[in-house]
Amino acid sequence: MDDIDAMFSDMLQEMDLLTQSLGAEAESAPLPKPPSLPDPPEMNFSIGFTDLNASLHDLEDNDLDALMADLVADISATEEKFATERDTFKESAPFAPVPSQPQSNFSLPASTDTSKPATSSNSTVAPPPPPASKPSKEELEEQIKADKIKLALEKLKEAKVKKLVVKVEITDGSSKTLMVDERQTVRDVMETLFEKTHCDCNVDWCVCETNPDLQTERGFEDHENLVEPLSTWTRDTENKVLFQEKKYKYEVFRNPQNFYLWKKDKASLKDMKDKDKEQLLEENFCGASVIVPDLEGVLYLKEDGKKSWKQRYFLLRASGLYYSPKGKTKASRDLVCLVQFDNVNVYFCKEYRNKYKAPTDHCFILKHPQIQKESQYIKYLCCDDEWSMTLWVTGIRIAKYGKQLYDNYKAAVRKAAGSAIWANRTIQASSNASTPSPTPKAKAANGHAPQHAVETKGPSNQTSFPPPPPSMDILPPPPPDPMLPPPPPLAPPAPPSATKVNNFPPPPQLPKSSFPPPPMDDLPPPPPPPEDAELPPDFLPPPPPSFTSSAGDMLPPPPPDPIGSFPPPPPAPQNFASAGGPPPPPPPPPPPPAPALAATTPAGSVRKVAPPPPKRTTPQLAAPSGGDFMSELMTAMQKKRTQ
Amino acid sequence: MAVWDLSITVEELGPEAPPLKISVTSDLHIGGVILKVVEKSQIKQDWSDHALWWEQKQQWLLKPSWTLDKCGIHADARLCLTPQHKPLRLILPSGISVRMRVCFSSPVFRTIMGICKLLNIRRPEELSLLWPVEEKKKKKDKDVEGEVYDITRAPLPSSTIPTLANGMPAFFAEAPDTEAVYKMLAISQPPPAPETIAKLYRSTNIMEKAQINSRWMDSSRSLLQQGVKENDKLILRFKYYTFHNITPQTDVVRLTQLYEQARWAILLEEIECTEEEMMVFAALQYHIGKVSVTEQFVTSCPAMEDLDSALQCLEVKMEGESSADDMLETMTAPELHDYLKIFRPKRLTLKGYKQYWFTFKDTTISYYKSKEESSKEPIQQMNLKGCEVAPDVSVAGQKFCIRLLIPGPEGMNEVYLRCEHEQQYSRWMAACRLASKGKTLADSSFSSEVQSIQSFLAMQKTTPSNNTAQTDESINTHSLVSPRYQKKYKPKQLTPKILEAYQNVAQLSLTDAIQKFLQIWQALPDFGLSYIVVRFKGCRKDEVLGIANNRLIRIDLSVGDVVKTWRYNTMRQWNVNWDIKQVAIEFDGNVNIAFSCVTADCKIVHEYIGGYIFMSTRSREQSEILNEELFHKLTGGHEAL
Repeated sequence: MDDIDAMFSDMLQEMDLLTQSLGAEAESAPLPKPPSLPDPPEMNFSIGFTDLNASLHDLEDNDLDALMADLVADISATEEKFATERDTFKESAPFAPVPSQPQSNFSLPASTDTSKPATSSNSTVAPPPPPASKPSKEELEEQIKADKIKLALEKLKEAKVKKLVVKVEITDGSSKTLMVDERQTVRDVMETLFEKTHCDCNVDWCVCETNPDLQTERGFEDHENLVEPLSTWTRDTENKVLFQEKKYKYEVFRNPQNFYLWKKDKASLKDMKDKDKEQLLEENFCGASVIVPDLEGVLYLKEDGKKSWKQRYFLLRASGLYYSPKGKTKASRDLVCLVQFDNVNVYFCKEYRNKYKAPTDHCFILKHPQIQKESQYIKYLCCDDEWSMTLWVTGIRIAKYGKQLYDNYKAAVRKAAGSAIWANRTIQASSNASTPSPTPKAKAANGHAPQHAVETKGPSNQTSFPPPPPSMDILPPPPPDPMLPPPPPLAPPAPPSATKVNNFPPPPQLPKSSFPPPPMDDLPPPPPPPEDAELPPDFLPPPPPSFTSSAGDMLPPPPPDPIGSFPPPPPAPQNFASAGGPPPPPPPPPPPPAPALAATTPAGSVRKVAPPPPKRTTPQLAAPSGGDFMSELMTAMQKKRTQ
Repeated sequence: MAVWDLSITVEELGPEAPPLKISVTSDLHIGGVILKVVEKSQIKQDWSDHALWWEQKQQWLLKPSWTLDKCGIHADARLCLTPQHKPLRLILPSGISVRMRVCFSSPVFRTIMGICKLLNIRRPEELSLLWPVEEKKKKKDKDVEGEVYDITRAPLPSSTIPTLANGMPAFFAEAPDTEAVYKMLAISQPPPAPETIAKLYRSTNIMEKAQINSRWMDSSRSLLQQGVKENDKLILRFKYYTFHNITPQTDVVRLTQLYEQARWAILLEEIECTEEEMMVFAALQYHIGKVSVTEQFVTSCPAMEDLDSALQCLEVKMEGESSADDMLETMTAPELHDYLKIFRPKRLTLKGYKQYWFTFKDTTISYYKSKEESSKEPIQQMNLKGCEVAPDVSVAGQKFCIRLLIPGPEGMNEVYLRCEHEQQYSRWMAACRLASKGKTLADSSFSSEVQSIQSFLAMQKTTPSNNTAQTDESINTHSLVSPRYQKKYKPKQLTPKILEAYQNVAQLSLTDAIQKFLQIWQALPDFGLSYIVVRFKGCRKDEVLGIANNRLIRIDLSVGDVVKTWRYNTMRQWNVNWDIKQVAIEFDGNVNIAFSCVTADCKIVHEYIGGYIFMSTRSREQSEILNEELFHKLTGGHEAL
């Protein structure tokens, strides 16, 4: 026993040392090296550069700075984490049964949503081994040791997370460099890119990969992980990651009739009513199974290993891409399956007329994502025109991803709407805060709580966009209504913005306005809101990047929150006078949520993280009442055990 | 007032007995007539379910307070006193017959509500009754009637919601034999023998498919009115292919029967699918068959649910507790090592299998010259994440190969691994499969994966001759596919194909597997189409009208191509001219179509269209209460008015 104990405290120390040394290292040379264990091979390398050194040379200064900030934030977050960790130890030590809660909270950043319910259920239940009575000293020690073990394991886990430094090319030819960890979805990465590029956040933005060898391009889907496909690139690859607007990305959801009723003549579909479009989407995406557009028609297929292209009659089904062999009917039983979509992705191709003597330049291929060079395992297909290519590629994406695609779209729309009315919101948020509605709002936020946990990113950047993290498909989409979703206390970046709110002209006009609010006001425009999103990293304590950030969720949140939560109200009077405009909200009386209140409870509740540890211990000690079924069951079991 | 004689047949007196004559006046009400008859019959029994049936007019006299005058009954009327509920043999979607008492006097729509309530199927509006196909060659198979489950003892469905006991409606929980009936309802049947499929199989051209739709009952008239007699055979089927709000906890029977209907539709090729799809269906059937033997149907009693969730919580909690140990374990992940043979097919090489020492760790296979050298650098390492795994097995030939297609930047690398025996094979195969999905050997599903591979191998051992008993592990793969594929492949050839599809579904739970089956079924292009042969106004040849939940399609009979599609949401109105039996529909943009029905009564077409419109209104109002009136309004035709 003692041996193990010693071993673990050794391990812990070692790891602390590691992180510290990392901190030092990061200051001297910003090598992208997350806290790592001795053994992780090829844990990170960079994408878009031939090797790591080149990557560092290539980086522009500002990129370096940004990267630095990321790293430092990373480290400080980790340290903070450990600090709080220790605190909780001390804090909880006097209480008898230290529930493993604080530690398991730490696991949250690393683990997925599913672990969330687990821990919360944990919380309602009395801590397992020690009976709720007075625990002995040994038990206490044992508990602490168990916690240490957990902590160590968490650290190991964290260290195992793969991260990549990715260089992303923007439309204007410039590039941004960011660090992506393997748990981030493309959606998350796009959030970061939105902040970095100040572009409008419309739904067409897309992270794409290009392969110059194959002359292909593919837009990543929002729910995909970015690190995984990038890790399969070869080291000397010339593949690139682009950040561009792609009209085709969600066209099917804007004009489903063009895909689902593609046989009808297009002119008649042109002015289809929104209601009918919605119904189409409902029919095809919201039923028990997603209906794939019933595409069929002649495509050219490049024959295996040959240069010639052969016409075949293709049909798309949910189960794969089929063609009908010569002399056979289109009946299902006679169809030959060219490919099923489980293991392949679909890619647009460029200039295949030259490269492969294709009949037209409107080609697409289907291949396993890991294949990077010409191969007999690639299926090359060629369409007559661009539209039919879009049709087929979109159809295949629907067959492959199903409802996920629609969920992605809805999340993207929420995001876009959120950013468009962002400016409105700051003002409304302030007025909101003054109306006596905060409680229901807090509740609402609580409602989605469990799913967020991981998603609630660095309290700073992300939260500046009030709409709930978009990758959440579970939420009923609240954002369309600007009044509702923004729980004012949520936004730590509010401090800068709040001060500005005063002279901030209400831009209610264009709900579609792109992200940077148009500077059409003659008022001395303060740094526009998007700036706010950018600023914090520069002069605030660097926000923890996403993955570590959830650590921030647990304990650190309170400090920034209070500030964020009450500044909004005061500005109101002058503000509205000067604004004098469209959204004259109710006269702003002194904010009902008393500062104290705002500082403590709302912040906590809005954050909707599992109840903070200290709170939890008390009820357990006091009485096992709990009230809920599980805790009763547990206490009963414990009683039995102790007897 | 004049007194006259009315003759009434009483069924209870036997078919030979002459009708009873009672003297009545025209202002006597129906209730009084019944009272008099009962008195005269001198039989003491519960008469409460009885009512008068007027034979000439084919009509029930169900309003006790109406006078004879008001009903228009005169001395020449032949009336019959008969129970409203009579036994009927219902053939369920699973093909199994149940004998139960159903209402012969209410509109069929209401009758089905009663049936479904007793059978515990929610959403009765989606089902209907139809006549079975007349059996032609009766001599051969008179004993093939099969077992009939008798539940005529069941109480008549009252208006109360059936209470549950032991997860089934209280009635079924009363006795072991009724419990068996409920099991039959709620658990999918074992795969049928290939001969059974072949026997039921019939030509599947579109005309044939249209025939079945001529046999539906009229929902707005009673069974007796439609010539159904006591103990007749009727089929109970899902008629409208829009299944509202399926919840596995409360829809055990509904889900099972729906699955059975879908399964038979696939096996009999009532709906067409491709070979690849057929293999997935086969794999799912195999899996569902296997799991439903072990995993009994989920009980739907609320108390049990509570317990269930409690247990789950507990499980989660336990996991949470032991996570530290688990994590330690995963760090020292289990490994496999063995001498195996490897073969890499390459152009222009004829090298055979070569033996090496193999280790399997995480998701990676490494191999070494020999066991002794395993501490050195491996000859090669292969990461199987994202690769394709296929079996290449012949139990008879003692060949156990795993074919791997490992993706690399240059393309896919084809590798064959040859194992010595079954056990070794199933372990390595399971490991490869998990690895291809990015899971390691430490994953909890490893052992079940090994097992399922072994049980699947067992299928190959059974000779195709003993395909009668479908118990336990030995399933003839011919029972899982339609006759077309029974002819095309031998069971031996089918096994690897099904096995390949099976690896993607092997880990599903029972309800998940059933739902997956239904999902793939519903994603088939022809899903939900009911065909009726019609003749469009102004056309000289027959064409086929396909009716789906959101559209009508017109199909050219000769080619089988869809000529035109009309969607309901562009439909302005539809009318039926009952005299010339023509359906006329008007769509947006001044599109008018009219057709007469060839294979079915136009009432059936009318009811289909109206029924689907009715089904689409359900999503808006979430209430469980069925708007019967609206249904009849939409489907009833002139009778409803």
